[in-house]
Amino acid sequence: MRFTKIVIPVALCVLSLGFAAPAQRKYGRGTKPKEPLPVVSAIDTDALKGLITQQRERPLLVNFWATFCDPCRDEFPDLVKIDKEYRPQSLDFVTVSLDDIDQLKTDVPKFLSSMKATMPAYLLNVTDPEPAINFIDRRWQGDLPATYLYNEKGEVIYRHIGRVNTAELREAIEKAVKKGAGQ
Amino acid sequence: MRAKNLSILFAALFVIAGAVLATGARAEGEVPAPPAIGATIEDFTLPGVDNKDRSLKSLAGKNGTVLLFIAVQCPVSNAYNERMEKLAADYKAKGIAVIGINSNVAEDAAAVKAHAAEHKLSFPILKDPGNKIADRLGASVTPEAYFIDMNNKLLYHGRIDNSRNAAQVESNDLRNALDSVLSGKAVEKTEAKAFGCSIKRG
Repeated sequence: MRFTKIVIPVALCVLSLGFAAPAQRKYGRGTKPKEPLPVVSAIDTDALKGLITQQRERPLLVNFWATFCDPCRDEFPDLVKIDKEYRPQSLDFVTVSLDDIDQLKTDVPKFLSSMKATMPAYLLNVTDPEPAINFIDRRWQGDLPATYLYNEKGEVIYRHIGRVNTAELREAIEKAVKKGAGQ
Repeated sequence: MRAKNLSILFAALFVIAGAVLATGARAEGEVPAPPAIGATIEDFTLPGVDNKDRSLKSLAGKNGTVLLFIAVQCPVSNAYNERMEKLAADYKAKGIAVIGINSNVAEDAAAVKAHAAEHKLSFPILKDPGNKIADRLGASVTPEAYFIDMNNKLLYHGRIDNSRNAAQVESNDLRNALDSVLSGKAVEKTEAKAFGCSIKRG
């Protein structure tokens, strides 16, 4: 009787410490502060035109994508690698999501966060995507992903509809970067 | 002898690798060009979700037919489920048939059937194995519409309307095309880019 009176509370204490300890090790005192989600800016067709046609000193890579698009999600890790490799020195890179505006602060930044993507991110907020699609490329049907590389003059020097071929894209970037540096 | 065998083996591997690369390159967004407006769409036969073959001719409407490339999992296509069903119902009485076509390699007949039942899609839906009809029509995305007249002449190709969000629809491009034909007028806007999920080709 005495045994149970002492042993059971002690065992319970040890057990509760056992469960609490890993939680404390993981989060310290209190809860771990949440990482802020990346900022995704809504843009309309005119703002997209401005983004692409503005004067620049470096080539610009633009990737059109959406969270609902499987090949877009599949190619994203490759694009993040390219971004980390080239943007600090020689390339501008932006992503333009064609998701619904409701996903501006939810699915889109969550996906970008999961990919550790830090390039400027936009979401095309339009009721009719056709003018934007036609501005980018009359031959493009709007299927995703679509990737365009522009030179400093705003001319398209590489385009790819569908999952990007990384080697091909790198080659185009290298060429654009060297050409830009040589000018 | 051994060297000869090895060279044959390498040659075979080279040919296989070439074929695989060629197939892979084809799958990456290179969709054949769609037929021009005014072109005649040849009759075709595809299996329905019950695995019975159906020809375009057997399902066509007396005043024309709408071919809708649709998907099970695409959220854009799914945003149009109610609108597509209403379109089929509204124009059935006017002699225009609606036929759904699923060309996505990963969505089998059973999935298409279950999806149609879940979303109460009552128009016939055909499976397009090997995306042959999607290739023939140059269909890129879901949803994407083709409207042909009773002689299979292509009159309209593109989107159903301007927005996946039904509340933001301002331009009913497909319905406008159907209404024009029913009232004996020429279709004013014959093409409008369809926006949606890429068709997953095999």
